[in-house]
Amino acid sequence: MNIIKETAPHIRRKDSLTRMLLDVVIALIPVVVMAYVAYGWAAFRNFAVSIATMMASEFVFVLIMNRIPYDGTKHTLKEQFLHGCKAYRPHHALAPLVSAMIFALIMPPDSNPGYVIYLALVFGSLFGMIIGKFVFGGTGNNIFNPAAAGMVFAKLCFGSKYVYTTNNYVSAVESGGTVLSNLTNTSTSLVGRYASIGDISVFDMFFGRIPGTIGEGFKVAILIGLVYLLIRRAADYRVLLSFGLGYVGLMALAGIFVVTKVPGVDYGHFLLFQLLTGGVMFGAVYMLTDPVTMPINAPGRVMYGLLAAGLTVTIRLFGALPEGMAFSILICNLVAPALDHYTYSGNRFTPKKIAVIAGMAAVFILAVCLGLGFQEGVTL
Amino acid sequence: MIARSTVIHDTKGLLDALPTLKLDVPDDVFLATGNARCAKAEVFVNEGDHVYLGQVIGMRDGGFFKQPIHATVSGTFTGYEEHYHRNGKMTKFIRLHNDHKDEWDPSLQPRSDEEIAKLTRKDFVEILQQNAMVGLGGSSFPTHVKFNHDKPINVILINAIECEPYITSDIRLMNEEIEKIIQGILLIQQAFSCKKALICIKKKHGKLCRVYEEYLRRYPDSGIEVCRVGNFYPQGWEIAMIKSALGIDIPSGHLPSEYGIANFNVSTAWGIYDAVKLNRPVVERRISVSGDAVNYPSNFNVRVGTPLRFLLEKCGGYRHPDKDKTIILGGPMMGASMPSDDCILTKTVTSVLVFDYEEAPESPCIRCGSCVYSCPTGLEPKQIMDAVKAFDKPRMKALNPLKCIECGLCTYVCTSHIRVTDYVRRAKVFAKMK
Repeated sequence: MNIIKETAPHIRRKDSLTRMLLDVVIALIPVVVMAYVAYGWAAFRNFAVSIATMMASEFVFVLIMNRIPYDGTKHTLKEQFLHGCKAYRPHHALAPLVSAMIFALIMPPDSNPGYVIYLALVFGSLFGMIIGKFVFGGTGNNIFNPAAAGMVFAKLCFGSKYVYTTNNYVSAVESGGTVLSNLTNTSTSLVGRYASIGDISVFDMFFGRIPGTIGEGFKVAILIGLVYLLIRRAADYRVLLSFGLGYVGLMALAGIFVVTKVPGVDYGHFLLFQLLTGGVMFGAVYMLTDPVTMPINAPGRVMYGLLAAGLTVTIRLFGALPEGMAFSILICNLVAPALDHYTYSGNRFTPKKIAVIAGMAAVFILAVCLGLGFQEGVTL
Repeated sequence: MIARSTVIHDTKGLLDALPTLKLDVPDDVFLATGNARCAKAEVFVNEGDHVYLGQVIGMRDGGFFKQPIHATVSGTFTGYEEHYHRNGKMTKFIRLHNDHKDEWDPSLQPRSDEEIAKLTRKDFVEILQQNAMVGLGGSSFPTHVKFNHDKPINVILINAIECEPYITSDIRLMNEEIEKIIQGILLIQQAFSCKKALICIKKKHGKLCRVYEEYLRRYPDSGIEVCRVGNFYPQGWEIAMIKSALGIDIPSGHLPSEYGIANFNVSTAWGIYDAVKLNRPVVERRISVSGDAVNYPSNFNVRVGTPLRFLLEKCGGYRHPDKDKTIILGGPMMGASMPSDDCILTKTVTSVLVFDYEEAPESPCIRCGSCVYSCPTGLEPKQIMDAVKAFDKPRMKALNPLKCIECGLCTYVCTSHIRVTDYVRRAKVFAKMK
């Protein structure tokens, strides 16, 4: 028996990084199951390819980062390999697993020609892991959400080849785009394109009977995951609250313009349409709540959520892209270190911080008003 | 888990219901010639001299104050021996061989009530200095310094919160020495000529609060009241206690006395009664022995200067003798870990905790923010840790690490098992440098 000296404190909360990552995996399971039910082989392929790529790249990264330090003797490759394997810990498997599951769920079910989806999955995964994570130093040091970075890269490279309708469960629309990208094609007026959203029922949107990426459709599964994450405190409610309030508030404002200018659009249906289509819900629940890429204090997190909401709304309403969840998450990831800067960071909601939050909200409200206020209406 | 933790899993359990046991006085007791606040010491007795219980046998020099060393047994002075002190350093100890007679020094005569009634604040300073009274809650801050100023005091706070888990010595003291504690508080009130005193007890100790309220009916004009405060950690931190009890927010760098507040630990109040009324130094104190690795956790009345090994033997030794151990003097959150079990229990040791050592490997920080949410002083431990790793001094200073009270919550809540408090301690050292 030895007496071991350690520094205070000597007790720990029952908690670990493994547990936290496992919680996210568990929260993703309902979405994964529904993706498999809806898309079958396509979902399985997405998971298999991205999980294999991401876990293998993380393993190689661990090997590279944990070489035997120089001690004058030559080491064989086998020794180097075994030394690296010793440094491989549970979180090295779980962190890429989480990223890969999220990445697979925000990829489309198919492409035309068919081999492009494999390229998109492999290169998206590699880009997300290498540029999004490894160049900054691996787990915990990354600036970007690996899944979002990989998804955006794949979309920019292979986006025109994506096809969103290849299964029996999805029934509403036949063409190759998502609901939102079809909207962009219908009208040049920013408000006029919402004229026909009444065709898609809330039921279809809520139960994923619309084309889209394999994970974003089934909203019940996402809500179950959200509840689990909040119960286990694996997600910060501050971000979710400020994002949700900001998004719904700004969309409610936009809805007033749309309803007054476009006859036949139901206000409630417009709000639900904006909430239930695209990747807003999935992105907010699983990607925006990634703690690594968030600011670290409560006011910063509220600002972060609000910024993400405002950017998503502006990209959705005015952007060239049909939806902007991943883009706005990446932009917010970039801003997060600035929100954390030591000269003004702090965990208290000081009057200045509240003023900044109010200012951010005012800017986005102004943007929505100016952007939609001068749009021409649609007459029947 | 991204969550603020203020309530620490508490294992006080049954231990606070067990009465305090009297520990036998060992054959040899040891008295330190130096401690954390006093570097040098002078010893007045020679080897082979007979000493009485409570006799002044030396004087420690703490720079701006002197602290006498009192013999805690009657017997013979038999030289010096080196052991570990509570501060973790190897220190020279005076060894006294016990004759088991416990003869008090005949010059220590109790004061009569008339004498006590005449005492002023200046006399209290002198008496407490002569009796080497220090903060018995673990701070070891000399109590007479707290009396040695002319600022008016409007309210006295008695800290009976004991917010650290595992420790029950104060609860037992409050149950068993209720009369002495109240007499001690009355003496403090007399010294400051202040009519108001609040005994701060955690809300969850409702029974103890009711016992005190009932007992205080016997002192209708004393002005002593029971104040129920929160159950969270670190409620026992004086700033948090003042905030909860009085609603006054004291900014860091200011003393409570500037706001007319004097605060004392409940065991200090108990010690002040002995020092003033009986004119006796503290020779015995209550120590909780607890932790997963002790066979029979209990509270003991321990003679100051008892070796730790003697105490642990009386607790039935270790539960798993083959496993590695950590021995902590003080609470599990802020207590000091000992390099060996060869140390001496001084009068500021509140508890001895023994845990089986478990190695918790560090994972990378995932910026969950639990440390930021939990910090009672509103610091950002993660950012301070980054600054220390980058050795960025301006950043360290801008993050105010000197506000840190080292409560240990940031390490306690860390999802990745990083010892964040260590980084903050390092930042404090750097921030103090020019």
